Amino acid sequence: MFRYVPLMLKNALRNRRRSTLTILSIAASLCLLGVMFALYRGLFLAPPKPGQELRLVARHKVSMTQPLPVSYEARIRQLPGVREAMVWQWFGGVYKDARDRRNFFARFCIEPDKLFRVRPELEMPDEQKRAFERLRTGAVASSDLAERMGWKIGERIFLTGDIYPVNPELTLVGIFKDPNTNETLFFSYFYLRELLGAGPRGDMVGTFQIQAENAEAVPRLAKAIDTMFENSTAPTKTETEQAFALQFVSFLGNIKLYLMIICAAVTFTILLVSANTMAMSVRERVREIGILKTLGYTPGAILFMILGEAGVIALMGGALGLLLASGMTAALRQGPTFVGAMRTLSITPDVGALSLALAFLIGVGSSLIPAWNAARTSILEALRDSG
Amino acid sequence: MTETVIQTRDLTKEFIRDEFHVVALKDANLEVRKGEFVALMGPSGSGKSTLLHLIAAMDRPTDGEILVLGENLRSLSDRAIARWRNEHIGFVFQSFNLIPVLTAIENVELPLKLTALKKKERMEHAATALKLVGLGDRLGHLPRQLSGGQEQRVAIARAIVTDPDLILADEPTGNLDAQSAQEILTLLGRLNKEFGKTILLVTHDPHAARFASRIRHLEKGELLPEGQVPADYTVAPM
Repeated sequence: MFRYVPLMLKNALRNRRRSTLTILSIAASLCLLGVMFALYRGLFLAPPKPGQELRLVARHKVSMTQPLPVSYEARIRQLPGVREAMVWQWFGGVYKDARDRRNFFARFCIEPDKLFRVRPELEMPDEQKRAFERLRTGAVASSDLAERMGWKIGERIFLTGDIYPVNPELTLVGIFKDPNTNETLFFSYFYLRELLGAGPRGDMVGTFQIQAENAEAVPRLAKAIDTMFENSTAPTKTETEQAFALQFVSFLGNIKLYLMIICAAVTFTILLVSANTMAMSVRERVREIGILKTLGYTPGAILFMILGEAGVIALMGGALGLLLASGMTAALRQGPTFVGAMRTLSITPDVGALSLALAFLIGVGSSLIPAWNAARTSILEALRDSG
Repeated sequence: MTETVIQTRDLTKEFIRDEFHVVALKDANLEVRKGEFVALMGPSGSGKSTLLHLIAAMDRPTDGEILVLGENLRSLSDRAIARWRNEHIGFVFQSFNLIPVLTAIENVELPLKLTALKKKERMEHAATALKLVGLGDRLGHLPRQLSGGQEQRVAIARAIVTDPDLILADEPTGNLDAQSAQEILTLLGRLNKEFGKTILLVTHDPHAARFASRIRHLEKGELLPEGQVPADYTVAPM
């Protein structure tokens, strides 16, 4: 069968303008499909990021906007299988000018002495860790954030509260490396409580982050924490950090469904483009197919050649589309986003292989009917065709 | 005794076209022996091409028997017929029918792709066939870069490259100027005389038919007895 490949390739490119336009159409569709697949994979199928495997997040069962008593932390820490637990409070607020999107980055209140035990994937020099624990108004930033903002150790950072009616005045005492390239600023939860003063608000927090001792303990802990607070006034919902992060995506709607609909539409478009091209291409060559049959080519060989030709065109379009998709994902990685998966969005080998396989199958599938008809055409009928 | 290459007995082909019952060929009895060069002559619609197509197993008869190279074509499957055609038949068309995206040598190589020959061997065979038809210097030319006569010679090279037992030529000079037609007919004559190829030539041109060793005439779907010509048949002077 491989001896037919040169003829297949020549036929695929015989009408260069049409083939080029078809390849470009498929490339455009495949580019979109590749990005959608990459997004789907990043959001729903990606393995846990470094450090995420053993981390749990406990929030209020009703909604993450409902607070939990800070006293839960001590009780959670007592559970067997918990290595560490700490407050994880979104501060929000405004840095300089909120209208400038470059000033947007994540700001969390945490417990400085526990941060690097709950998030062991973060790396920071020991003296900076000690400084962070010592200085109540100290803050630490990820190296990606510090680099983008041009911050150095000792930088004064002023935040204006929006969720909380306080304006922290922070000093950057450490810059940590985050393998997940998040742009995050951490400062002390105790400093926030101090600013809030006496009152119930300081005793309530948004979530707790828990580091389990091992992977086996993770599901057990999630259940144990929720059971422990089941009958309290603030019941919890505990889940892995990965599952917790996906909730933010769900705010946008049923992303899975959206992605699937877009993918289906793109796939259908490629199918139409490819089917149209192959139908035209085969119709023009009915006579040649008759000649090949006269020379002894069987209907099976004819079928194989036409399907292969469609497959070649689809693969060329697919490969070009994936190149474009790689460029597009690189551009999306640089853009501002609150979804972590977007920062690592890329055309991974499995996404690339899936996209190419789909393109090939669509190409072959779309040409099945014209190829079948051509293969079944009788020699005399084919030779009578004027093209 | 000379081997019989083609033998038809009461061969009939009928078909329905636009609700009309058409008898394209009726009770045709033809025998062609090995090494013969036979011309089938007749006006348009006389059934000569139909007979050729039946002999090449490109069509199936309605009735009658047909034995080609000892094979009863009616008993073969489509797949077996395709293989048989590749091994035993060389076909030359009126309109050359070369694949436009392939070079001369690639066109000639096409039938060999169905054999067990390796690429190098196939190319050697194809080059030899092209040299035989006088196109040894046009191996890499595309059909559009060749004249009509040269294209037909490539088609002949393609027809002979598998060393077939029988060459079937359907109006091979119909699209050529007089000079090129003469060259093609001379080439076919050479293949018959020097290489012993059995040739069946369909033509309505009396001049072309003169290259054959035997002429059979058809009229209104009937193959006339040996030596008999249609009443209105006139032979143009050479």
